[in-house]
Amino acid sequence: MSGRVVQQRYGGVMEAVLTQPRKKRKLLLWLAVLVVLGILGGIFAWYKFFREVPQDPFDSPHERFKYGSLGGENEAGIPYWIFIVLPRLFPEYLPGPGGYASLGVAWEQGMELPIGFTRKTVGFPRVSNNCAVCHTAAYRGNETENPTFVPTGPGHTMDVQGYFRFLTRCAKDPRFNGPNLMREIELVYDLPWIDALLYRFVIIPVVKKRLLEQEQLFAWMEHPELPGWSRGRDDPMNLTKYFMLRMPEDGTFGPADMPSIWNLNKYTQGMTMNWDGASYDPRTVLTDSALGIVVEPQDDFEEHMQWLEDYLRNLPPPKYPFPVDEKLAAAGLAVFERNCAGCHASERTGKPVPVQEVGTDRNRLESWNKEAAIAANKTVNRLGVKRTGMVEETLIGYIAVHLDGVWLRAPYLHNGSVPTLRAMLTPPTQRPKVFYRGYDLYDKADVGFVAQGAEAERLGVRFDTTQRANGNQGHDYGTALSPAEKNALIEFLKTM
Amino acid sequence: METDAERELSSFPGGRGVLRGWCRKLAVLLTLLLAAVAIYLWARFGGDRPVVHEDIAEHFKYGSLGGERESGFPYWIWQALPSLCADKLPGEGYRSLGLLYEKDKDLPVGVSKRRVLGMDRVFLNCAVCHTNTVRETPQSEPELLLGMPANRFDVMGFQNFFFDCAQDSRFTPKRVIAEIERIGGEVDAIDRYVVYPLAVFLMQDRIRMLKARFAFAEREAAWGPGRVDTFNFAKAIFNFQMDRIPDKELAGASDFPSIWLQRPRKDAQMQLHWDGNNVKVEERNLSAAFGAGTTPPTIDHAALGRIEEWLLDLAPPSYPFAIDQERAGRGAQVYAAYCAGCHGASGRDFKGERVGQVTPIELIRTDRGRLDSYTYELAANQGQLYTGYEQYRFKNFRKTHGYANAPLDGIWLRAPYLHNGSVPTLRDLLEPAARRPKQFHRGYDVYDQAKVGFVSDVPAEGERRYFLYDTRVAGNGNGGHEGKLYGTELPPADKDALVEYMKTF
Repeated sequence: MSGRVVQQRYGGVMEAVLTQPRKKRKLLLWLAVLVVLGILGGIFAWYKFFREVPQDPFDSPHERFKYGSLGGENEAGIPYWIFIVLPRLFPEYLPGPGGYASLGVAWEQGMELPIGFTRKTVGFPRVSNNCAVCHTAAYRGNETENPTFVPTGPGHTMDVQGYFRFLTRCAKDPRFNGPNLMREIELVYDLPWIDALLYRFVIIPVVKKRLLEQEQLFAWMEHPELPGWSRGRDDPMNLTKYFMLRMPEDGTFGPADMPSIWNLNKYTQGMTMNWDGASYDPRTVLTDSALGIVVEPQDDFEEHMQWLEDYLRNLPPPKYPFPVDEKLAAAGLAVFERNCAGCHASERTGKPVPVQEVGTDRNRLESWNKEAAIAANKTVNRLGVKRTGMVEETLIGYIAVHLDGVWLRAPYLHNGSVPTLRAMLTPPTQRPKVFYRGYDLYDKADVGFVAQGAEAERLGVRFDTTQRANGNQGHDYGTALSPAEKNALIEFLKTM
Repeated sequence: METDAERELSSFPGGRGVLRGWCRKLAVLLTLLLAAVAIYLWARFGGDRPVVHEDIAEHFKYGSLGGERESGFPYWIWQALPSLCADKLPGEGYRSLGLLYEKDKDLPVGVSKRRVLGMDRVFLNCAVCHTNTVRETPQSEPELLLGMPANRFDVMGFQNFFFDCAQDSRFTPKRVIAEIERIGGEVDAIDRYVVYPLAVFLMQDRIRMLKARFAFAEREAAWGPGRVDTFNFAKAIFNFQMDRIPDKELAGASDFPSIWLQRPRKDAQMQLHWDGNNVKVEERNLSAAFGAGTTPPTIDHAALGRIEEWLLDLAPPSYPFAIDQERAGRGAQVYAAYCAGCHGASGRDFKGERVGQVTPIELIRTDRGRLDSYTYELAANQGQLYTGYEQYRFKNFRKTHGYANAPLDGIWLRAPYLHNGSVPTLRDLLEPAARRPKQFHRGYDVYDQAKVGFVSDVPAEGERRYFLYDTRVAGNGNGGHEGKLYGTELPPADKDALVEYMKTF
């Protein structure tokens, strides 16, 4: 509003006030003062709590994928300074030393936030997440090398459940209060006094309350008889059912690996997506997954989705970064065509294989159903977001997946119960019963990540295939090949 | 609107007016009184004034970087503690911890003073870890040299002294005030009943927090003087769960470096720190300044900037003793053949293809402790230091996997050698590891002109005992930097010549 407009509008009011009798005039004056104060208060509140400052433009689409906001800051954002100090105040609620890094986030050295964490000012700077938090793969070629991050790859190191738990445990701690948090914030940054007051008396108490409310929404994942999600996995369908749709608990447990999300153009007409084929197309999966982060879609939500879809459709899978024995790989192609192509490079690819046929763990399949799909479609429609939708049918099994970039998609099977490709080619009863997930050292011999040994134990999480939903049975294909054939096949798979 | 009572009052002749007059006088009086109190309080407790030193060397030795604001001790408490807790010091006063006093100074080198919150407060600056003395003989007058490693300063002992004293039953306002008065400090009523009781309480509180965060040091062997475990302190800034840090990360104690001639390092973007984990001089300095008690909101950038600027071109002092020029000349040839590629053409010319770069640990094979103390996880977290102050935010820390090839300016003053100070002299460094001393003493400042380094076989001088360094302790290994490439297989005459030449650096 320009000065002149204000003058014109309020000039008239003042004139009217001045021509009233004395008593009335006083009353009106007070009223005017109140109104002005109210307006100023409103502007102040808007400025301090709701004013949206767009993020700076990104240098490249890759940077935008890593750090670009999807609008989650508005509803699900954590105030920046709280985010910064929580690990310092409550390190005991993290899986190990190293702050957020101990959660296996993909944190580029020199950056203030890990990949998949976004910073945006809505009234005050807030931190939220985007797809990259679960969809960035990390690997190291040897122990004396820093991790290489591959955005859009499976976030096999990421402890999503650990992050939820960390925030909840912090909020439940009586030390999560204004004075304590402010004491730590003051060591880090000199907040202007007005912001310090707002933090102490408004923002910190409100965040505590909101996090505690969330705890009830996550209660279903804390049943003591269930194993944890482990690194690189979540329980996607139950997140949708309980968190988004608020459906009653049904006793299912369907943890599954974070998938790679590159090269989405491979999904053509007639294929379905998600491990069990629950969604019709990339846009549906992107939208529903993003809604889990964003909670309340903002005006630009569909714009973000369109950008993401375009970006991911055309992004090629990463090439195997280590030497490949080309001759051996060529021999492997023949093995592949005889033994694997029937499902993984054919008409069947991208379509469900009955669970009785593939024989892998049923829990993930059983965690979703037709009613939930109908409810999900209704809910998303009600939010006014357009997408093809989820398949409103009873699903029969697991999708025969494309194998693009399969070298970086370990551990294998939908539940990540098999650490390496070589273990996949081993009869199920001889596959590792216990191994460690979340270590990023690459295993070039067996193709996958190193899943045993002291460092894997220290940095990873123990994975027990005898626990619920962790079964490593099924997909008994190629396990009878000769060792030479297996070697050749594995070499070939590196090149996919 | 008038109330009935007011109307009644005003009906008395003069009544209301008199009352009003009195009220007014009272109000004025009260206002004046309040103003006076406010001015007094402001004068007493307001303001934030460092002791300013125009001369840059004085500023380096005694100037404030702002550490007092967050971490400072009240001046008189600082002065009183050594006598209050005399039994917790290895000898007489702060001197016994290796702090150096110049003549007629009330504070040691490296301790600065600033008036904040109505009190002179003191804390550390760069000089405490980067200044030392040298003597030709035990009888000589020690010469103070700025910018060299503080080989005598026992950081761990210093820290433990404060932890122990602040938690001692003697550390009460009453005892502290009595001690202050005994040593000549003036204590007025406000000091007695407000300032010192509060200061004692705050110090206890703060030291309790620091002690918890620095508890990792209790798991480590004594560092000895002249060494610090820099990056486990850095983890403590983030309050990592130090009790869950693996042992291999807890052997990171290493020597204070010299800090001369930063410009050529900066211009060539050399990998700084022992493991070369940062290429930005300014960021490295801000990182080191955490050790001087500064925090991002309290650091005095201008004061640090003066020092930073000065260090760009501050050259090390020349070797003050005799040099055999002929022998040094022969040494120059050996140096050019064996050392220059990694360590620079000379003590002033740092050109060389691998200077300032990291040599992988598999090649250099010196002790891994310091390297392993720095982790990728820490490097990632350091990206959040100075966040909110984007121009200063740390963007350059990187985990490396070896040790950086350092230029050798003033190398004669940088003994003991290797990152962990495990080899007492240059001449010993040219021997294969098996023939280097297994144990020696650190902290003495008498110079060893024959072997180049400090005399390392003197266990004590008067009541002062020197630290026995044991190379078999974790992190203290004296292996590596050996073999043909490193000159340890040269004939003795060549080694002697090389050592003679390096005196000229």
